[in-house]
Amino acid sequence: MFSIPTLLVLVPALPLAATLATAALGKKVLREQSHWPAVAGIGLSFLAALLLLFQVRAAVAQADAGPVRIGYEEVVRLWTWANVEGAGGMEPGSPGPSPPRQIALMDFAVEVALRADPLTAVMLVTVTFVSFLVAVYSIGYMHEDPGYWRFFAYIALFVFSMTMLVSVSNFLMLYIFWEAVGLCSYLLIGFWYQKPEAAAAGKKAFLVNRIGDFGFALGVFLIWTTYGTLNFHDTIHDTGLTTMGVLGQSRLAEPGLFVAGGIATAICLLLLLGACGKSAQFPLHVWLPDAMEGPTPVSALIHAATMVTAGIYMIARCAPLFHASGDAFQAVALIGGFTALLASAIAVTQTDLKRILAYSTISQLGYMFLGLGAGTLPGITAGMFHLFTHAFFKALLFLGAGSVMHAMGGVIDIRRFGGLRHRMPTTHWTFLIGCLALAAFPGFSGFFSKDEILVALHENSLDGPSPALYHILYLAASATAFLTAFYTFRAFILTFYGPERIPHEAGDHAHESPNSMTLPLVILAIFSAFVGAWFFFTHGFSEFLAHTPSLAYPAMHTEEAAHAPSVHAGVMVASALVAVAGIGLAWLLYLRWPKTVDRLTAAMDAVGLYRLSFGKFYIDQAYHVLVVRPLAGLAWASYWFDRYVVDGLVDLIGLAPRGAGAVLRSLQSGMVQFYALAMVLGVLVLIVALLV
Amino acid sequence: MIEHELNLLTNFLVVGALLFGIGLIGFLTRRNMIIMFLSAEMMLQGVSVSLVAWGRYFNDLDGQILVIFIIAVAACEAALALALILMLFQRRGNLDIALWHDLRESNLPPYVDHELPEIPPYQSGPWPTLTPAGRRPDLPQQETDYRSHV
Amino acid sequence: MNHPQWILVAATLLGAVAMWLLLPRVRDRGWPLGIVLGAIGLGLLASQMPRIGHWTTDSVFLVLAAVTVVAAVATVTFRNPVYSAIWFGLSLLGTAGLFLVQGAAFLAVATVIVYAGAILVTFLFLLMLADPQGRAYYDRIGWETSLSAFAGAVIVGILSMTTISVLTNPSDQLAAAAATDQQRAEGVLGEYPIAGLGSALFGTHLIAVEVAGALLLAALVGAAAIVAHGRVKPPPEIPEKGDPAAARQTGQEAAGDGEPASPTRTHAAAEHRR
Repeated sequence: MFSIPTLLVLVPALPLAATLATAALGKKVLREQSHWPAVAGIGLSFLAALLLLFQVRAAVAQADAGPVRIGYEEVVRLWTWANVEGAGGMEPGSPGPSPPRQIALMDFAVEVALRADPLTAVMLVTVTFVSFLVAVYSIGYMHEDPGYWRFFAYIALFVFSMTMLVSVSNFLMLYIFWEAVGLCSYLLIGFWYQKPEAAAAGKKAFLVNRIGDFGFALGVFLIWTTYGTLNFHDTIHDTGLTTMGVLGQSRLAEPGLFVAGGIATAICLLLLLGACGKSAQFPLHVWLPDAMEGPTPVSALIHAATMVTAGIYMIARCAPLFHASGDAFQAVALIGGFTALLASAIAVTQTDLKRILAYSTISQLGYMFLGLGAGTLPGITAGMFHLFTHAFFKALLFLGAGSVMHAMGGVIDIRRFGGLRHRMPTTHWTFLIGCLALAAFPGFSGFFSKDEILVALHENSLDGPSPALYHILYLAASATAFLTAFYTFRAFILTFYGPERIPHEAGDHAHESPNSMTLPLVILAIFSAFVGAWFFFTHGFSEFLAHTPSLAYPAMHTEEAAHAPSVHAGVMVASALVAVAGIGLAWLLYLRWPKTVDRLTAAMDAVGLYRLSFGKFYIDQAYHVLVVRPLAGLAWASYWFDRYVVDGLVDLIGLAPRGAGAVLRSLQSGMVQFYALAMVLGVLVLIVALLV
Repeated sequence: MIEHELNLLTNFLVVGALLFGIGLIGFLTRRNMIIMFLSAEMMLQGVSVSLVAWGRYFNDLDGQILVIFIIAVAACEAALALALILMLFQRRGNLDIALWHDLRESNLPPYVDHELPEIPPYQSGPWPTLTPAGRRPDLPQQETDYRSHV
Repeated sequence: MNHPQWILVAATLLGAVAMWLLLPRVRDRGWPLGIVLGAIGLGLLASQMPRIGHWTTDSVFLVLAAVTVVAAVATVTFRNPVYSAIWFGLSLLGTAGLFLVQGAAFLAVATVIVYAGAILVTFLFLLMLADPQGRAYYDRIGWETSLSAFAGAVIVGILSMTTISVLTNPSDQLAAAAATDQQRAEGVLGEYPIAGLGSALFGTHLIAVEVAGALLLAALVGAAAIVAHGRVKPPPEIPEKGDPAAARQTGQEAAGDGEPASPTRTHAAAEHRR
């Protein structure tokens, strides 16, 4: 009934309509019912995305039988937003060997085009599904907030931006919606803008993201000058000629059409910088923990499940470019591995439940970068798979933390409450499932996706371009997995076990949350528990994703054959053991021998490790000293220069007419005859000038 | 007879210019508001003379019609100017235009004449009186043949 | 420059000096010399004018022009404003005569009736009300006399020179634009010139006439409003002696009483202003 183009337009259009409706009517008309447009719009959008997914699946199955195509894609061109003819100065034929059908049409044509391919379909379903559940959850969580309608307008706007981000087929449009989700993130972090911390966190997120976006923008410029187009897809002109898209079929079909060497590495590193900003990777990860000042549903939706994965999506989309560069994937893996280890080391000692989850998000994003950084098809699909499962269990954990926070009257410090399992049974059970998934306990979704990443790394360490590096990264990833299991269960045990402690802020509020909040928890818990196993054993996920044109490329043009991710028994057993060991250590330390914790802490503190971790490795402070202070000083100097030197010059210029005015003022005597005489003399001068 | 008409035009234009110039000089120099007004009217007369001359030269009645409008406007002007001058006179007690410069720049001192003319001494003469009805007025000799003032 | 133009330049300069001498100044000596110089200047100017035609026409025109111009000079130079006004009336009569010479009979009559008859008389009323004796200090003092006289004379001189030089050697265009005597006899100099004027006025220019009528009405209402609302109340207390403003106020009080302002008081006010 619904064709792919219709669905592709419907998915972003419905949240946009919800945004407009809520923004227009929310304050005066809808008031307490402001959630309806957003919930309905996002829900329908989810259904559309689901339909789209099935249609794409069917189309993929048919495309397999057809002639040679690189994967499956369908591009829906809506309109051309801007067309500057002859904007580029590239001589015909460059770069590289140019087939005759590529012509030097260097029009700067920005097509507003949406694309349907497996990657987009998966992202759309993930985004809209989690968004829908978070929107339902927010009905309860944001109840009676003065900015109720504003919240839902922002959420719907975010869903619109995010769905557009994953479905546009142009780098410029990608950049635009990249910024749009950043804007929504800024608005929602600073949602309680009266709170100074929230306003500061919003500002910090925006500014840190700006650095990444700057790199991304440079990368887009470089792509334009290198490839002469910004479209992903091929454009077939009326003349029958084709402009090769950056990631178009015709370019993917033949090897060697991608620019290699230094320029390619530069493009990839700039894109990687953008991805680091959006996906909170070292060194731009500092904004994400502070972003927890926003409402918890926002943290769950934007800063855990969806927006932060934009970087992963972008790198996966641009995989051929990274391939062409050769070294870029190793940079991705290096950054991912380092970030994963760093963030999990910080999370071990944090006491703020949401911040622990934030650092775990950073760490898991680092994991996804590791998967992408493997550079192989199994690695990339493993990264995307982890993104998919992570969206469920991290959203679940955040929403569970929000439920705890809701019951504790806004308190989120795990030292101040404990033993809540009897008071909040649903939250407890769902949170436990989320923790098991995050800790990669065997059988839960996180285990399978993480295992695929580890396998991909392990294979690279056996035979690949730089086995030593990937071996180290594999070890780091294993260590991260151990730490992840440990800190996850540390937080879980401190929250739900031990003697019951309830902070006084909670009052008589310390009970289970309403149904609108627990229902999404249960649904997410079911998915967190089983989605990984389902896709792992059917191999459906990676096989489906392999039909994405960008991902099909490496499989086609490199030696490695496109095969299903191998099940490596040794790696699997090792990672299961690591997870169980971490969980067991947490259980022992925090439930059995609580005294040991203090002693261990003291021992660690003696060598400075505890303080280092607790202080988040002092990266914020380092940035403050190394970046903020010098910039503030520069700003102050500029201010001084502007205030006293530039303004002084301007004032000096301003003094000239003032001085002239002061002299000429004396002419304004108010005497009628004086003015008349001046006029007559003026006329006289004009007459004489005319005659002479 | 083109020569005749050209010469006529020349003469009238020069007379018009003279009237205009004299009126201009009067407007610029005289400080009595009424004389200034008369001078302005004189400038209008100069223009009127020129207009009539041109109208005759081109055989166009519009010149004369424009003069009629000038007279009408001058009448309006006279009515308003008289009312204004009367008001101003009531406020300051004389007709000196130099007293009215309140719109000068605030930092300028008010205008002051540094030198005032000698005013000839007042020669008082008898004012006219009315003799009651029915009696023959006995006018002094001085009154009948000389008046020092109007 | 050729000879006649130098004569015109000399006439201009003579006129400027004559006007300066004649105009009221603080020390107004030399007005007899001004009369002589002015007469010489006017004579020089007249000598450069082309003759109109027959000597009778010339003499009529010269007499009327002389009356007009001399009366105009007298208007702006006489110390007593009452005399000025009367001289202005004479100048208007001369203008009316000039209009008659041009064949504009209606305008001549209108000038005499409207200007001399109505406007001028109203001014005389006001003068009588304000200052009937003509002894005010401001009538005996001029504003930038020399510069103004020079500027006015130069403007007249330039206009005269231009007019004479252009019209004695008219361009073909200007000569061709002139009407023939035949046309003129049917137009401005027709058998019923005033009828022609009336039909043009109430035909082609009807809207303008209506607008002028509205303007007259507005001026009437405006003048009445100014007089009715512009009155100032007399000051509540008698100002201190020695204050220039106070001196003027005193003069105003005197005028407000309906009496003619006493010359001694006006002079005293002027002395305060020194």
